Amino acid sequence: MAGQSTLESWLTWAFSPSISAILVTLIISLLSPILIHFYLYRKAQSKELPSFLLLGPSGAGKTSLLTLFANGTSSKTHTSQTPSSALCALPSTIRSTSDRYRSENDTSSQPQFLLLDTPGHGKLRHHALASLTTSTALKGLIYVVDSAALSSSAGLTGAAEYLYDILLLLQKRHTGAKTSKDPQALPVMIAANKQDVFSSLPTQMVKTKLEEEIARVRATRSKGLMDSGVGMEDAGEEEREWLGEYGAEAFGFGQMEEHGVEVVVVGGSVRGEGGEKGDVEGWWGWVGENL
Amino acid sequence: MLDAFEILTTSGIVLWRKEYAPVSSNVINSLINDVFIEQRGQKSSDGGSNPAYRKDKYTLRWTSAKDVGLIFVVVYQSLLHLSWVDNLLRAVRALFTKQYATELKKPHLTNIDSKDFDPTFDALVRKLDTGSTRRPSEPDSDAGVIELTPPSSTVSAGEEGADEDDAPPPLPGAPQFKKPAIPQRQKQESAIVDDTTSADITPVPTPDASRPSTPAQAPSHLLTAKAGPGKASRRARKANTSAFATSAPASSGDERPSSRAKGGKASVKQKRRWDANGVATEGDDDAVLDYSAVTSDPADGEGELDVDDVKAEDMGSRTGKGQFVLKDLDDEVDAILASSKATSTTSTSQTPSDPSGLLNTATSKITGLFRNVVGGKTLSKADLQQPLAQMQSHLLEKNVAREAAERLTTSVETDLLHHKTASFTSIDKTIRESMAKALTRILTPTSSLDLLRNITSTIEGPTARPYVISIVGVNGVGKSTSLSKIAYFLLQNKFRVLVVAGDTFRSGAVEQLRVHVRNLSELSRRENVGTVELFEKGYGKDAATVARDAVTHATNAGKGEMLYDVVLIDTAGRRHNDTRLMSSLTKFGQLANPDKIFMVGEALVGTDSVAQARNFAKEFVDTKGQLRNHGVGMDGFIISKCDTVGDMVGTLVSMVHATGIPVVFLGVGQHYGDLRGLNVGWAVDKLMK
Repeated sequence: MAGQSTLESWLTWAFSPSISAILVTLIISLLSPILIHFYLYRKAQSKELPSFLLLGPSGAGKTSLLTLFANGTSSKTHTSQTPSSALCALPSTIRSTSDRYRSENDTSSQPQFLLLDTPGHGKLRHHALASLTTSTALKGLIYVVDSAALSSSAGLTGAAEYLYDILLLLQKRHTGAKTSKDPQALPVMIAANKQDVFSSLPTQMVKTKLEEEIARVRATRSKGLMDSGVGMEDAGEEEREWLGEYGAEAFGFGQMEEHGVEVVVVGGSVRGEGGEKGDVEGWWGWVGENL
Repeated sequence: MLDAFEILTTSGIVLWRKEYAPVSSNVINSLINDVFIEQRGQKSSDGGSNPAYRKDKYTLRWTSAKDVGLIFVVVYQSLLHLSWVDNLLRAVRALFTKQYATELKKPHLTNIDSKDFDPTFDALVRKLDTGSTRRPSEPDSDAGVIELTPPSSTVSAGEEGADEDDAPPPLPGAPQFKKPAIPQRQKQESAIVDDTTSADITPVPTPDASRPSTPAQAPSHLLTAKAGPGKASRRARKANTSAFATSAPASSGDERPSSRAKGGKASVKQKRRWDANGVATEGDDDAVLDYSAVTSDPADGEGELDVDDVKAEDMGSRTGKGQFVLKDLDDEVDAILASSKATSTTSTSQTPSDPSGLLNTATSKITGLFRNVVGGKTLSKADLQQPLAQMQSHLLEKNVAREAAERLTTSVETDLLHHKTASFTSIDKTIRESMAKALTRILTPTSSLDLLRNITSTIEGPTARPYVISIVGVNGVGKSTSLSKIAYFLLQNKFRVLVVAGDTFRSGAVEQLRVHVRNLSELSRRENVGTVELFEKGYGKDAATVARDAVTHATNAGKGEMLYDVVLIDTAGRRHNDTRLMSSLTKFGQLANPDKIFMVGEALVGTDSVAQARNFAKEFVDTKGQLRNHGVGMDGFIISKCDTVGDMVGTLVSMVHATGIPVVFLGVGQHYGDLRGLNVGWAVDKLMK
């Protein structure tokens, strides 16, 4: 009863034409949009961290690389089933492009970025393709390959086909842009991982092998059957489905530059020999350049 | 006993692991690939015991904590039957998720400093390990032992000898438990360590455990504080005998100790002399017994005594606290096990407590509605039930077999249960998205299906040989038609194709193929592409032999260049439940040894597609009795007559669901050119429409 009467009196005051009630109403109506604005602004701003996407076939060392970049040490990992992300900061020895002229001794905070890991298993690659098309603040792709597995034909084919799919997607993103303004160019680094393994191919060899294999994949893809999803009307657009320079016999990563995709191959290893630290300086350097 | 125990995230990072023997990481990787990603051979057995997976000589059991995305895997040798690992998994899951709850909730989880978990795990293993075949001892039985012992151990050392004779009965159970050396534990400082000690101590103690602790007792006060209770209590017992219920004699057990105890009784006076210092040599056994007795004794009186003893020292309170915590942990483990047992019988749905009062229900309903529209609603089983049923019937309308539809809905349910909907997303939309994801995953092939690439790599190089493809299926689904479509496609790519009439049974089958080959060779002559020929031996011959002969013919039997690049073998249609005809497929598979075996299924068929796919797949075993193509049997499906069903392409899903074999081609019309590859996105769109 008592509660009811206070409520009643409070309501009476709120609807009464007294100065205080009007003032309170005014303050609330003016402040609430401002507060909401600040709230939303904060929320939206925190998402704008630059990010790099880790791609590559299963077992190449993506998740290991993620833990190494995030924690400084690589954890033991297994096949990923879900994508994950980690907040990383550039090590103090690497300077990002915007900080190029900063003093060596300036140890103030290094820029942070988000590293997105994706599963490499054949059935789960849609995660990678989805984050490739949806992420807004993407600064580059890191395609991790196992340099030792490339010496077998199955490993090479697997790595090349996945890379082919991604490069084709990037090319379509460039050529299919609706506006005259090009979408932001996405550089690709092919991280030739596991250089510490005895049977691994050297970096230059990784590059040529992948280029040759992509040329072969491109040839069979162009001759293969059409997808069930393709309607008859856009069957003639063969040129759009051709990766790189149309009609060229050989494929080189240089051909991708025309489509705003710069591809570099950098060797390294997440794990070092005999428990030593791996060699990831080259990868950090590339990340710093593109941050 | 165990070979390894790992706790990993779904994103593949190992958060904690313990390895007793080196286990190749391939073992767990193949568990993830086969069970979690391909979802192969997984019986729905949630609740009861955790499912097992065998790989090489290992058996793996696992459990998962969906909400935090963790998987707990235990690896042990298949020779052992460790029934207690179920309990271990459950207990570890509960304890780990509780202990690291805050870390696990963080957004960018890459690492957890989980060293602290080692002792907890060791303690759990010790508590739960009941050997390889025995069922884990029930908590009740532990209690029983404790209850039994007190009467025997009420009075001073003098009487202990006599008591011991009574005591043995409860003992036999004890030796199963290995108790850790207490001194080691004491070195560790953290509260968790205290937990573990307590966990160790609470189970029925064994003599060997208490032995190491005794020497430690003498040197430092700290140790006395912890280990002390046994001794001090023994002294104290003399003063107030009733307070203690010690099972000391019980734990010592054997006849031998009892005789020694009698010796101890003789030297009572000596002990009194050494009171302040600690245990006399003679007193050792007694002290040992005391310890175990004390530790096993759950009576609160002990704990209090402890604290009193130690209060003078700094560590006293901690020891006391340690013991309480210990008791908690032990109870906790028991509770976890009990609750999991309970949940295995009843479903785990956690219904929120009914809010009382009309107003409350109204508000909760309104917020529920609001949440449904705005999002941010945590999905419960009840929320999901109805929309999932709708989704299932939608799938059934799309000609998906009931079995496959049920599996898809359960996978969506487990995916979404306790999941929070995104903002401004309704439950329906969330379910649709999750279902589309599940369909994509089921339809996407594991490895790429570039047939041309496989053929070129086979027919080139030093070990060149013709590429053999054979086609099987039920009567009238369109085997010959699909085969001639494939032949046309290969001819366009300038291969030399040999078509083999393997149907030596149905009249007109050979003639039918001859017509196809005539048409195809005419077409390819006009377009100046590949060449095609027919290989036939008439009717009545054994199809397997014909196929083998055809392959030798194509290779030209070692006489120089091979004559053909690709051999396409047609087979007789057979009912999948006709055992006699089906068993001849095994011989066919072994003799012809095709690179690819494709099964043709028609899009029109409904529920039967599951049985068809299964029965055909299981016939293709190699000479060692293993299913070919890594235990799958066949290499792909060709779904014919897709143009006749519109968007009811559910057969695709049913057949892939039944076997895990991908769909390679779709037949979409009457012409030779009407063969398509499968676009997963297109199929999912049609199914979700």
